Amino acid sequence: MASSPLRLVASVVTTCVVAAGGLAVTYSVTAPRIAAQERAAEQRAMAKVLPDAARFEPVAPVLLDAAKKAAAAGQIEGLWRGYAASGDDAGWCIRVSARGYGGPVRMVIGLDRNGKVQGLTILSMNETPGLGTRVESEQWFLKQFTELPAGFGDRDVRALDAISGATRSSRAVKNCVAAAGAAFLAIRGR
Amino acid sequence: MKHLMQVFVRGITRENPLMILMIGLCATLAVSTQFQGAVFMGIAVIFVLTMSNAIISVFRRFIPDEVRIPMFIVVIASFVTIVDLVMKAFVPSVYAFLGIWIPLIVVNCIILGRAEAFAYHNGVLASIADGLGMGIGYTAVIVLFAFVRELFGSGAVKFLGATLVGLPSWYPAPAVVLLFPGAFVLFGLFLALWRALVSRVGEERGVCR
Repeated sequence: MASSPLRLVASVVTTCVVAAGGLAVTYSVTAPRIAAQERAAEQRAMAKVLPDAARFEPVAPVLLDAAKKAAAAGQIEGLWRGYAASGDDAGWCIRVSARGYGGPVRMVIGLDRNGKVQGLTILSMNETPGLGTRVESEQWFLKQFTELPAGFGDRDVRALDAISGATRSSRAVKNCVAAAGAAFLAIRGR
Repeated sequence: MKHLMQVFVRGITRENPLMILMIGLCATLAVSTQFQGAVFMGIAVIFVLTMSNAIISVFRRFIPDEVRIPMFIVVIASFVTIVDLVMKAFVPSVYAFLGIWIPLIVVNCIILGRAEAFAYHNGVLASIADGLGMGIGYTAVIVLFAFVRELFGSGAVKFLGATLVGLPSWYPAPAVVLLFPGAFVLFGLFLALWRALVSRVGEERGVCR
């Protein structure tokens, strides 16, 4: 028994309208919470990588552009200036991503005034569980970046150890740090 | 009532979506590396399956045969999007792990399969029982599966930050258990166990068709 074309159209349109209404309601309820969660996650990451800073301010677009141009190894996604509670300059927070084995590895890296790595954390990655994800779970790997000298360059980063079995994931993290170092050299003192 | 109970239990045992029907395996193998993720994945599937079964069953007489699939998909996609937004808002750490697999529930064959094979031809209560049964059957298997994989693959099972069980530190935790080859091998063992323990009970009582 074939239905009339009008009925077909009417039933599909009705379903879509009702579904869209339901989604609009859900979205309006959850959207502010989702935005707040994302901001909180970013703040938490920044507080972790730059413990001396009490508040963070995004830098001027000119500076961000200069940083983006200087960082060849990865993409600079955001740049903040950290200030200590006393108002002193505490350093920089750089959000950066580089391609890993299963997609981009996104990190937040904290550099002090002189360009020494204070801390770094992985925001998101899609590396192989148990192999590539060891760049996060093996403590020594991320820790070695905090021992880089102030004003380090590409070569210093490349000389560090990688995790065997996770070469490309390790390289992604290194590229992130190298990009942050290059960005710092371009914007220092400005 | 007895009929509803039968429909419900069937989804868990004799027609378990993962162990017997073997549908929706892709997401199952992918997210079962972490116990906590598997628990929330199970909850998401129970919700979407039950709600879409209920809605489709209520409106089944108004859904023309020719456009039923697009309409099913719209209903399912709406519920999946609701789950997606709610998880993102309230359990961001779990959402970060499950990632793409939550939106992909839309194309999970279990949901569309039950809509087409059951909800479109049966009453509302039976469809809800079917959705709950299938959903719980799915959750039970994926949670158990993830528990074994996380325990033997990473040495400890964690839930919301707390360690539930841990193996002694001399256990080497082979990464292969967390990778796809390990998933397939373990899944085969699960199937064999299920056949031996659960399906056989039905056969002996002579209920199997």
